[in-house]
Amino acid sequence: MTALASGCGGSRSPAADEGEATGGTGAGDPAGTSSGGEDTGAMADACDGRRPGPAPIRRLNRREYDNTARDLLLDDSRPASAFPPEEEALGFNNNADALVVTPILAELYLDAAEALAAAAVADHLPDLLGGCDPDQDGADACADRFIKDFGRWVYRRPLDDDDVAALSALFSAAEDQFDFETAVRLTLTAMLQSPHFLYRVEVGAPIEGDEDNLRVGPYELASRLSYFLWGTMPDAALFNAASSGGLDTAAQVADETRRMLADPRARETVRDFHGQWLRLAHIDELEKDPDLYPDFDPALLPLLRAEADALIDDVVWEGGGDFGTLLSAPYTFLNKALADYYGVEGPSGDAFERVDLPPGHASGILTQGGLMSVLAKHNQSDPIHRGKFVREGLLCQLIPPPPDNVMAVPPEVDPDLPTRERFEEHTKEPLCAGCHQMMDPIGFGFEHFDGIGRWREIEAGQPIDARGELLGATVSGEFDGVPGLAALLDQSPEVDACLTKQWFRYAYGRVETLEDRCTLDALSTRFSDSGRDIQDLLVALTQTDAFLLRPVAGEGDPE
Amino acid sequence: MITRPLLHRRTVLRGLGGLGGACIALPLLEAMGAWDSPSPGAPRRFVVFWTPNGTILDHWLPTGSEDDFTLSRILKPLEEHHSDLLVVSGVDELSAYQGPGDAHQKGTGQGLTCTELQEGDFPGADGLSAGWGDGISVDQAIADAIAEDTRFRSLEFGVHVYGANVGSRISYRGPAQPIPPENDPKAAFDRIFGDLDVDPAEQMRRLAERELVLGAVSEDYDRLVKRASADDRQKLQAHLDAVRDLQMRLGSGVGVGGACQVPELGVVSDPDSVANIPANGLLQMDLLAMALACDLTRVASIMWMNSATNKPYPWLDITEGHHELAHRGDEDLDAREKLTQINVWYAEQFAYLIGKLKSIPEGEGTLLDNTVLIWVNEHQKGNVHDRHSIPYVIAGGGGGSIKTGRWLDVPGDVPHNNLMVGLMHAMGLEEVTSFGNPAYSTGSIELG
Repeated sequence: MTALASGCGGSRSPAADEGEATGGTGAGDPAGTSSGGEDTGAMADACDGRRPGPAPIRRLNRREYDNTARDLLLDDSRPASAFPPEEEALGFNNNADALVVTPILAELYLDAAEALAAAAVADHLPDLLGGCDPDQDGADACADRFIKDFGRWVYRRPLDDDDVAALSALFSAAEDQFDFETAVRLTLTAMLQSPHFLYRVEVGAPIEGDEDNLRVGPYELASRLSYFLWGTMPDAALFNAASSGGLDTAAQVADETRRMLADPRARETVRDFHGQWLRLAHIDELEKDPDLYPDFDPALLPLLRAEADALIDDVVWEGGGDFGTLLSAPYTFLNKALADYYGVEGPSGDAFERVDLPPGHASGILTQGGLMSVLAKHNQSDPIHRGKFVREGLLCQLIPPPPDNVMAVPPEVDPDLPTRERFEEHTKEPLCAGCHQMMDPIGFGFEHFDGIGRWREIEAGQPIDARGELLGATVSGEFDGVPGLAALLDQSPEVDACLTKQWFRYAYGRVETLEDRCTLDALSTRFSDSGRDIQDLLVALTQTDAFLLRPVAGEGDPE
Repeated sequence: MITRPLLHRRTVLRGLGGLGGACIALPLLEAMGAWDSPSPGAPRRFVVFWTPNGTILDHWLPTGSEDDFTLSRILKPLEEHHSDLLVVSGVDELSAYQGPGDAHQKGTGQGLTCTELQEGDFPGADGLSAGWGDGISVDQAIADAIAEDTRFRSLEFGVHVYGANVGSRISYRGPAQPIPPENDPKAAFDRIFGDLDVDPAEQMRRLAERELVLGAVSEDYDRLVKRASADDRQKLQAHLDAVRDLQMRLGSGVGVGGACQVPELGVVSDPDSVANIPANGLLQMDLLAMALACDLTRVASIMWMNSATNKPYPWLDITEGHHELAHRGDEDLDAREKLTQINVWYAEQFAYLIGKLKSIPEGEGTLLDNTVLIWVNEHQKGNVHDRHSIPYVIAGGGGGSIKTGRWLDVPGDVPHNNLMVGLMHAMGLEEVTSFGNPAYSTGSIELG
């Protein structure tokens, strides 16, 4: 598809490939969609009409399952911790195509449903029955109320006749065989394994005069909003909006989105996104060579993550700046333990406070200890993967893996040779240079940060050389140190387009397709025009055809 | 640091009276004496032992002849089991030179499926270029034939397998249906043995409840499958199949007694830490062996690490990453020595598992006599990703179907599909003529 993808272009300038070079976080760009704004004009006339793109059924991932259990049953046990990790695709763990169910997961769903239902019946039976008293109101009436009234919270929509009939049959059988309370428990156990709970089943509603597309139904839309923005089920206000025509127009959906963004659960979602996109979720798994890095205490790991979250929160929610600030802030957020770790003046307590770092040292999330340690080896820094991260994660350009016949050997640590000199083999060897010139010169710019993300002036007895070069972006050029790199990235529109694409994948749980080209271009343009306001991007993501509509699936007949 | 939550630990911990750190023994099982003992007609079992990053063939290949051979350095730890071994050299993963994916993805995703990977965007060890395996793996094909009656169709153990991509899965229910291994011995223990301390009446009650619930659940999926779009239907059908599988196995009880004794699970250290690999590996092998002894399953696998894993082996004083070492040139004697040490260590683990199965009496012999246990490596040689002459070691008699005490060298380009066919024959699937992609499957390597 592009010079990058087909071998990184050898010695010719990748800039000649313009905005066509695309990709993802450790993933490619199957649709070959554009990342840049250059060709928006050429595509503009093709952007008429409705283009929702595919809408595969989505299963709750572990986070969504736990949050839903919490909000539905007031159960904080987080049972999904016992489920296998999601199959990740394109860097995210909520990709619909990747979330298949294996026998072991079905078994764990059963275990979790049993435990949740047992706890709910033990602790909240009157609430499950909606205040109905079997002795006074009759067991049948209470069963009916439980199934229909509580059931609508579980299925996130009013139950249809088939649902009610099936659940009533189960309830009766369980009541006959055991007793009323057991019947409530077993019916709830079944509900919690239902596709209408574990998946987001969407039917859609017809649009007059359009045979190709459907409107996402109001309850379905309420779930789309709540799982996107909060990673959990809709709240009462959303249900009410769904039932009263409050989600019928895009403007109403935008208003609802703004309300939801004010809720702390939206912060959790933004952290979850960044945790995956920026690999911050891997901070928790870090292990470093204890001989080389005796200060790297596991107790620091949550602090390093908290440092990243604090900056993200500040940029997104506290008006700390636009998206660019996330990559360029000359400050960070530290508490005493972290300030001591970095060896800088900082707060004296456990609370995180903004700390300005020496000029030229800090560049937002890019120079924080968390990301730098993730993008490092256990015993040294890692210019290749730091460069690869910028190329793939921030520019959405794909670097293909090394060919099979190449011995990709990272150089051994040598106390007498700086990292840069040890890694420069890649750019000498012609076979490797084509791709590595797209990564290593970027990565060398990070050399002030060692394998555990601490600033260093000297390595192997020599002053650090952090000069680098960014090739193949709209604004390419040489730089010295990460702030210089960030300044170049700040001028390159593909970074905005890339962030938009990452949010698209995360919000919609799927990879973009050719159908989505117009949606992506519109989102990216609006994002840039908004002054790179992340909150506005989240609102914009709820205003697209991809969010509000779904295609008519013509293959619904059973085999 | 957030440690792994200990959910569903109810049974074992209750039995302990809260003695944190003590062994989790389950004397309560004596109460289960009323249950039947395992049936005397010994079933055959199939077990895969999987390790990453290739070997050092010079130090692996035996010397001598088929029936009179000497184990070389890497396989030396297996010496005490010499007469139970069938060392197989020279078999090639021919399909793993074709289709999407880098060498590691192919070597791992095709090792047991013998067919090209799917196109896809899942990140692999070196980047991305492949999807999931595109067919059922041999362990699952065998399970489909022999595991109808057991509590678990199969059990997949991991030791330090992280992430969810083509490099972290060896076992597939079918195309793009990878089965995740369980790294955590505590979670594995709970799943396999956790409810054995419940009294029989309680067991019967739970069974009756589950029958009701799962009946309703499978009808629920069945209704939705019928009106889903083609893509969604495939996913929902897989879920429905999984629920039906659960339903079918509900009634399979466990006969504690004789060789089947619930193992003692000592303190389980954090499975996310590399340093705990040796200890947790032993625990997983203990659980695996006992699950077989109790006939809870007849098919199992243990995957030690990810494809192309770059974790160090600190307990061997090897601080470099395995993948980095594996990539160094032949002239790097230090790397060769360390890779040899790593493979010697894996051989010691394999010897432990063999010994474990041998320690379980069954009929006139041992459980090993009725098992086909095979050590599969991701590659032959790491630095060039050679997938020719994969170093296979089979142990166990397969109920008389395997002629052991031999070194079988297979000359020429013989695909590993044929070895899988031979293994299936040894497991009693005599009618099988082809496995994986038929384009590569040219016959059978008979092991008897």
